[in-house]
Amino acid sequence: MARLLSLFLMLGAPFRLGAEAPAFDEYQVKAAFLYNFAKFVEWPPGTFANATDPIGICIVGQNPFGPALENMVQGKKVGDRTFAVRRFPDTLQASQCQILFIGASEWKRTGALLDAVKSAGVLTVGEFEDFTLLGGIINFRLDGTRVRIQVNLQTAAHARLRISSKLLSLAEIVKKQP
Amino acid sequence: MSESLASGGAGRRIASLSIRVVVTLTLSLGVVIPIPAQTPPRDLTQFSLEDLMNVQVISVSKKEQKLAKTGAAIFVISQEDIRRSGATTIPDLLRMVPGVDVARLDHSNWAVSIRGFSNVYSNKVLVLIDGRSVYHPLFSGVIWYAQDVPLEDIERIEVIRGPGGTVWGANAMNGVINIITKSARDTPGGLIAAGGGTDAQAEGLVQYGGKAGTRGAYRVYGQFSHQGNSDPADAAQPADARRLAQVGFRSDWDLSPHDLLTVQGEYRRVKAGETITGILPQTPAAIGTFADPLRNDGGNILARWTHTFLNGSDVSLQAYFDNSYTSGNGAQDRTNTGNIELAQHSHWGSRNDLVWGLSYRAVAQRFTGNPFVTVNPLQRTDSLYSAFVQDEITLTRTLTLTLGAKFEHNAYTGYENEPGAQLVWAPSSHHTFWASAAKAIRQPSITDQGVHAVETVIALPQGLPGLVTFNGNPHTQAEQLRDFEIGYRAQINRRLSIDVTGFLSFYKDLLTIEPQIPFFEPGPGPAHVVIPFIFEYQAHARDYGVEAFATWNATDRWKISPGFTMLDMSVTRDAASQDSTIELLPGYSPRRSFQVRSFINLGHHFEWDQTLGYTGPLASGNIPGYVRLDTRLGRRLGEFAEFSIVGQNLLAPRHAEFPDFQLIDHMLDQRSVFGKITWRF
Repeated sequence: MARLLSLFLMLGAPFRLGAEAPAFDEYQVKAAFLYNFAKFVEWPPGTFANATDPIGICIVGQNPFGPALENMVQGKKVGDRTFAVRRFPDTLQASQCQILFIGASEWKRTGALLDAVKSAGVLTVGEFEDFTLLGGIINFRLDGTRVRIQVNLQTAAHARLRISSKLLSLAEIVKKQP
Repeated sequence: MSESLASGGAGRRIASLSIRVVVTLTLSLGVVIPIPAQTPPRDLTQFSLEDLMNVQVISVSKKEQKLAKTGAAIFVISQEDIRRSGATTIPDLLRMVPGVDVARLDHSNWAVSIRGFSNVYSNKVLVLIDGRSVYHPLFSGVIWYAQDVPLEDIERIEVIRGPGGTVWGANAMNGVINIITKSARDTPGGLIAAGGGTDAQAEGLVQYGGKAGTRGAYRVYGQFSHQGNSDPADAAQPADARRLAQVGFRSDWDLSPHDLLTVQGEYRRVKAGETITGILPQTPAAIGTFADPLRNDGGNILARWTHTFLNGSDVSLQAYFDNSYTSGNGAQDRTNTGNIELAQHSHWGSRNDLVWGLSYRAVAQRFTGNPFVTVNPLQRTDSLYSAFVQDEITLTRTLTLTLGAKFEHNAYTGYENEPGAQLVWAPSSHHTFWASAAKAIRQPSITDQGVHAVETVIALPQGLPGLVTFNGNPHTQAEQLRDFEIGYRAQINRRLSIDVTGFLSFYKDLLTIEPQIPFFEPGPGPAHVVIPFIFEYQAHARDYGVEAFATWNATDRWKISPGFTMLDMSVTRDAASQDSTIELLPGYSPRRSFQVRSFINLGHHFEWDQTLGYTGPLASGNIPGYVRLDTRLGRRLGEFAEFSIVGQNLLAPRHAEFPDFQLIDHMLDQRSVFGKITWRF
């Protein structure tokens, strides 16, 4: 038995197994995307009370980021605006949010949550396949070990958001369903 | 437990609901949970969008996080595990799960068991395909040769070792095998797969999926699978060829943002066979070896609807109808099953996550016997009612207590209850300790209660033939289990995770076969003596064991998964019992087994995977221990095609995995090579 086992291990050994590429936690990367979205999205006039009003990033339900999102945006500015990370059990306080992240754990009620904010000028961001079909604007899709972005232009327009061509050029554009 | 089980979703029993989302998240369970402190310190906010898109991420799905905190012994077979296993049947896939014993008797018969009591008619494991029970009510076991699902369409298989009766009900005694297929949304486009190999195997699958309007998606498929007879050099008159043809569909619909509907169905025709050494089908009764063709035709249709409320609570309703025709050795069975169940999940305050459900099942059976086997009554319709409630209580930030019970009423033993409790302590996100206690039962079947079988003929000293008969017991009892388990799961570092479970199980009222007083019968046929045996429930058992597995991502390209199983069974007859054969029961399950699976990405789209496994000897039936080595070389051909070649049992030309069982002669498992090509368009 021991002979067999050593044979088995040897079989794998002759192959030089690749050097390890640095890898980040999925949610650190997603948090960095959220930060970037603030730079590439223009909210409708009247969204902010004044020029220094912070950009609200809200997480509905469970928080998959841990402290990563707060740590990342702390002290960062887009223009004159800082960030405020908030957590809510549902979308009833969505008026304080410019970016609303709905994690995969909330998938069962995603449709209902999105329904409540569809015209509120909120950039909704999700992370499962049907998110944009359900009325979400930006979806994170995992392509192997890389994060891809899907954008639904119709829902973005409906929410009166302008997404820069720079972001759109890197995103997959998906069709809205009625 | 399942994603929905763990999260307390209403789809607890209807777990496949979660597929459409989870599929986009799930990597294999073995993926390493990142430890924030060790992640690279570089500031990601300095990265451009392009850079971010090229960053490699290590991800762990919600489901995996939930699984890591489940108070039960669970193993998940992912689609990646399936693809890389090279397996062509569902039992073959289950070989990878520690604690599950899979032994092949011939090309048609399998003994699949969890934690002992291995048996071709294994009746202590509940098997579900998308929430539909596939155990056959004739003997409360699974007809494995009739179960097939296109392996490409399986989202995952959750295997829960230990009793699941609190949620899943009777027959989830030693475990639950929950096969969950992908949402139709995740299988768009065409798929053609074809394979063939030595050991007379061939299989094919044709599938097409797409969108149905703006709110729905569908897929339809047809598949066949064929395996010829075992090698005649190994056994007299092999007759175990299996031929399966199956068509099916699945559709998933977003009726509204709050409502999901799934409708699916399938129809199959299966011819299989076995070699029997027993009473020849013609009278006068004599013993011989002969081919026994088996057949199973059947279909089913299932619908499931889920409504979700804005506050996160949800309700789901599932109904299915299943029809099957089974024949073997001149006997036939027709079974129709209708099942409907409702489940509701809600939060009560901040600490209670409550699920309850109701279900009703009607089973209509019609049996046509042969001269040697009949059941009484030949025709019956039974009802099974049940209700369950389970509350997951958050005691402190790190401590969770789950209490639950199932109440059932069945036609054989009346009211039964199956309570359970689980305590989970997760002091950090990388370590989980759990303990559980539960009671479970096996509900008797029509065979237990009403079978009358002439098992064999023996020559008596007086010169008369003696007919040995087995008889059901009108006063059946439920076999009972009281089970205690502890477990530990840990993410040791970014690359290594381990999972260890220990269990101690006490069974009572196990089925025994007790002699009754022989009597003389002048006919039919020549005068003979009847030596009757009756089923009683007069044995108990004490089992304990350990199951452990680990996942080690040795490098980014090489993953190694070792698993180990230890089982100690001790079965004792009660003082009233004369059935000494019951004490042979432990000898049908290996006391030790282990395996190592290795997955290597060689580059240039080549994958090289191996499984080396050892299964200990079976003392009853004199089956020596054996070592299996399976290897698979796969290559992706462009974006849409994949080719693989699989060698199984490479170390020895043949080996036995299970002894002759009751009347069925065992065949040997051959060294074999199998090639397969998959094309998507």
